[in-house]
Amino acid sequence: MNDLLFDVGYGHFLALAAVLFLIGVAGVLVRRNALIILMSVELMLNAANMTLLTFSRMWGDESALSAHTFALIVIGVAAAEACVGLAIVVAVFRGRRNVDVDKLTTLRH
Amino acid sequence: MKLFAWLIAAALILGVATPALVHAQPVPTAERPPGQGQGGDAPHAIVSKTHPHDDIVESRGKGMALLFWIFAAAAITGALFVVTRRNLIAAVMGMVGSFIAIAAVYMMLYAQFLAVIQMLVYAGAIMVLFVFVIMILNRPEDEPVAPTGRIGTAIGGLAILYMVGRLAMILVHVTLPNKAIALASPAPIMLPGWGSAGPEAVGWGTVKAVGADLFGPGLFPFEAISILLLVAVVGAIAIARPLHPDDGTDADPGTHP
Repeated sequence: MNDLLFDVGYGHFLALAAVLFLIGVAGVLVRRNALIILMSVELMLNAANMTLLTFSRMWGDESALSAHTFALIVIGVAAAEACVGLAIVVAVFRGRRNVDVDKLTTLRH
Repeated sequence: MKLFAWLIAAALILGVATPALVHAQPVPTAERPPGQGQGGDAPHAIVSKTHPHDDIVESRGKGMALLFWIFAAAAITGALFVVTRRNLIAAVMGMVGSFIAIAAVYMMLYAQFLAVIQMLVYAGAIMVLFVFVIMILNRPEDEPVAPTGRIGTAIGGLAILYMVGRLAMILVHVTLPNKAIALASPAPIMLPGWGSAGPEAVGWGTVKAVGADLFGPGLFPFEAISILLLVAVVGAIAIARPLHPDDGTDADPGTHP
């Protein structure tokens, strides 16, 4: 128990990332507001980034810095995704006056 | 909300107070493996000679454990705020707190550059974007969670329990191959000097080290991401523009709720 509390190692960081990812998954599955779903996706991307950085520190040498580059690129992709996703949310709200994903059934045949 | 504010305040106070704690924890040099990186203590000596103001704080010991638990609690609380709050602004504020805590955790992983980028891009730019969109929408949610009935709730609860259980089983059985190497601070890396300067030792995970990797092996993804961002910006403008430019002001839902 003392080890678990005071000896923080990689397992702790991985567990934190896993918990954050699970909360993001729960948000995507449970919530109906499109904005909350986008935020939960951002949370999942962050958890994945944290896993990358944890493994990068576990190796800790020069080539492991590529994980930092990769995490930076993931952040860039997340920014692009938020940009397009929020634009879609605004466009949907213009036409329908709500962003409830359960009510967006136009594409259902 | 109040609890969360207290948590952040406590984290800030402890963040100011912990350098003392961290320094009070003597780093046993004997534990450091001799063959790690470019070899033991030598790179540290180089770094402190070339950068006299470089303070290397190892992220280990009791102070670090305390900080880790505080920031982990802040990150998870913020994430739970996102999922549970009905008020969208409260959800965004929880998200900002979560991102700040995640940036602190990145700092513990010696990813200084990524921590700063996390603060600037996520807690700054992306969350401001979310707040703007929420201000445009300006509509409280009536029912945040879809009603699924008793059977759906039971199945969902079982699935979540199974997922958490499997995850815990995996993470409990993780054993580090060599704990001493794994927990030591990463050795500084050597960069080839430019011009007349010789090779230079820079801290692992600093802007200089990440930049040398980003503009070396990672140059193509870097350029590709710039094109992706350009496409995303053009696409966002094309999507969010009102379809009929004549009645653009009338079609704006924010002005006529």
